Amino acid sequence: MDSLKEDLKKQIIAQLNLEDVQVEDIDDEALLFDADGLGLDSIDALELIVLLEKYYSIQVTKPEEGKEAFRSINSMAEYIRKRKAESVL
Amino acid sequence: MGVQITGIGIVSAIGKTVAENLGALKSGRSGIAPVQYLKERPELLVGEVKIGNAELIDKLAINNPNISRTSLLGLTAAREAWGNSPHHSGIRTGIISSTSVGGMDRSEWFYRDFLKQGNPDYEVLLCHDSGNTTERIARELGISGYINTLSTACSSGVNAIMLGARLIQQDKLDRVLVGGTDALTSFTVNGFKSLMIYDDAWCRPFDESRTGLNLGEGAAFLLLENDKSAAISGNKTLCYVKGWANAADAYHQTASSPDGKGATMAIQKAIKLSGVGIDKIDYVNAHGTGTKNNDLSESVALKNVFGDAIPPFSSTKPFTGHTLAAAGAIESVFSVLAIQHNLIYPSLNFTTPIAEAGLIPVTDLITDREVNTVLSNSFGFGGNNSSVVFSSTL
Amino acid sequence: MVYISAASGITHQPTFKNAGFSASLDTISSDTELVSPNYKDYIDAGLLRRMSKILRMSVACAKECIQQAGEIHPDAIVVGTGLGCLQDTEKFLNTFLSVEGLLPPTSFIQSTHNTIAGQISLSIGNHGYNMTHTQNTLSFEHALIDSIMMLAEGDAHILVGAADEHISFLDSVAEQLDVTLPVAMTSGCSFFVLSKEKTDQTLAKLTAVETYGEIQKLEEHLNNFFESNSIDPARLDLVLFSGLDIDACGQVLHYLTSRGVKEDQIQDYLIYSGIYPTASAFAVHYAVDKIGQDPSLKNVLVCNCMNRRNLGLTLIQSVEA
Repeated sequence: MDSLKEDLKKQIIAQLNLEDVQVEDIDDEALLFDADGLGLDSIDALELIVLLEKYYSIQVTKPEEGKEAFRSINSMAEYIRKRKAESVL
Repeated sequence: MGVQITGIGIVSAIGKTVAENLGALKSGRSGIAPVQYLKERPELLVGEVKIGNAELIDKLAINNPNISRTSLLGLTAAREAWGNSPHHSGIRTGIISSTSVGGMDRSEWFYRDFLKQGNPDYEVLLCHDSGNTTERIARELGISGYINTLSTACSSGVNAIMLGARLIQQDKLDRVLVGGTDALTSFTVNGFKSLMIYDDAWCRPFDESRTGLNLGEGAAFLLLENDKSAAISGNKTLCYVKGWANAADAYHQTASSPDGKGATMAIQKAIKLSGVGIDKIDYVNAHGTGTKNNDLSESVALKNVFGDAIPPFSSTKPFTGHTLAAAGAIESVFSVLAIQHNLIYPSLNFTTPIAEAGLIPVTDLITDREVNTVLSNSFGFGGNNSSVVFSSTL
Repeated sequence: MVYISAASGITHQPTFKNAGFSASLDTISSDTELVSPNYKDYIDAGLLRRMSKILRMSVACAKECIQQAGEIHPDAIVVGTGLGCLQDTEKFLNTFLSVEGLLPPTSFIQSTHNTIAGQISLSIGNHGYNMTHTQNTLSFEHALIDSIMMLAEGDAHILVGAADEHISFLDSVAEQLDVTLPVAMTSGCSFFVLSKEKTDQTLAKLTAVETYGEIQKLEEHLNNFFESNSIDPARLDLVLFSGLDIDACGQVLHYLTSRGVKEDQIQDYLIYSGIYPTASAFAVHYAVDKIGQDPSLKNVLVCNCMNRRNLGLTLIQSVEA
């Protein structure tokens, strides 16, 4: 189990008040903003930007930038790793 | 029965009177500048009314200084609109204000002290609620009876005008002072920042490069009268409120629908009720906040309603900033002035049309044509969309 | 004529889906809580997760009310709220005054008063007139007046209601300001469907609603109200009264009792609803429920003078009256 993805799922559930959702319910590849995935919307996207800053000190200045990154748990994890690597350089 | 506008009053970032606002609109002078009065980081761009609370209290000769800036601004505009109108037992008079923050300008200071475990002044909270901001204005003007406040976010001001016009039309009141007021607060500045739609640069409505709004503050009131009231008051008719409508977008909590459904419905219904031909609208004062979402959605709605024949339109928010509940009232006063003085205002800071819409607002002041009928739009959170039509003739 | 086709309430009393509740109410004590239904039965989980107390209770109550009226499509949604979405307002105040860096936007979005009416329109996909009145203790009466006008302008059905939520901060404010309250502060919402036509469903008639802000000539106002509605105060079977025998409230009480209203026909409703700015909406629900239970009740007046500067009068009559 990838601990970054596990943490992300827990943080998303807490940040977005996903009362009925468990970590195991979220598939790594599921489209977060799709009705078949978590069915998130533009307000959630802003909450996810807050989450990235709060837990990972990553700043997303333009909401559009988040769109691609927030496709799925996999893409979010990838985005976080990429930004973290950039900040080390 | 016609609903006449017989008085207007306004205070905004571009002036503390109707005359000052008109002068700034004509000269293309924006009131948006780095923050001066509100305690925020100094580079923040806002449309503040350039006067402090102490000076306002003094100027308005307020006895009880426990009063919100929202009420002070409201009273300034309400007094100007009321003018020297007589109180008369034969005129059923009311007041409808609108506000989104109410007394938050002072409550947020209370709350700072409260969080610091200091010794906060709880008396401040007596003027927190929105209804109180209106009651204070009513009391100072000597209006009793029908006193009401609407709060529908950024469409509130137009809704107050609409409700007042309906009360006159249904013969519930003879005269009603209608408008809106909102002070600038850290609550709303931080709120719009959290939505990531607060532009660090000057707002650019309907421009491809737009990234958000600048907040402003202010108030505006309009005095509406029926024939009977106008005959007694002797007030001169400035123009008429001819049509109005409110519709719910029912699409999303904050975002406007991509097909502009609610906005389209509001505009269409208001024009239909006005009885004015769709080709007779001389100017559209758009909501035009400068956010990606609003301006695109509003452009789509304008196309839905007017097709290829969209009347000259502009957003005056680059002059005043977005004044939330006051915006609809402020822009209605601008609409009345447009009719009175045959003016079409420029949309400041515009250079490039939105790619998906291709609409080009008016960019230079137009003074060489008659302006008889104006449509003003105000759209708010929760998909609350309102439009109003003003006309020089009944 | 305006007909009440449905009435629903979520309060500190067993008002929800419980016709006849008015027969067995206990006085509110300080430790009562909101009697909440299972909100998931009424609200989509995706919307529910963000909703504060006032939004949950309002949307569920509004939906139940519409069901009761036979799944009508309201032409307008009109809401009155005295203090609006306090939970979210308090939350965002806390957030922006104490958090460094980016702020979560949800509580700001939901702090505006019209979130209630907006969420109802979103939940039922309604594109009609959507209005929010906030005139402290008279917010509900103003919503009713607006709704009656919408019916006069041609609408068939209006969903109208009121909501206010209690947060514990309000108790400290009352304490600090030395306000002595006769009963505890509570949360509550009530919704109604008002219709232009009478049907088999009709519960009662909403005959008249008036508000008087910054009261000056109280007796004249009261005379006008009774005269313009052609009703003699002595014909009132029940007066639902808010507040105490002081100031304007005392004058109204005296006015009524000196014109033939017997003291045992006057009932304080605040002891049942608890105190919140739009508690008069509870009183209207209570009146409608009473009328449904007791055929002898023809004319019921809700007299709201919770704020001594302001008076709200709502006359409800049985269908036969």
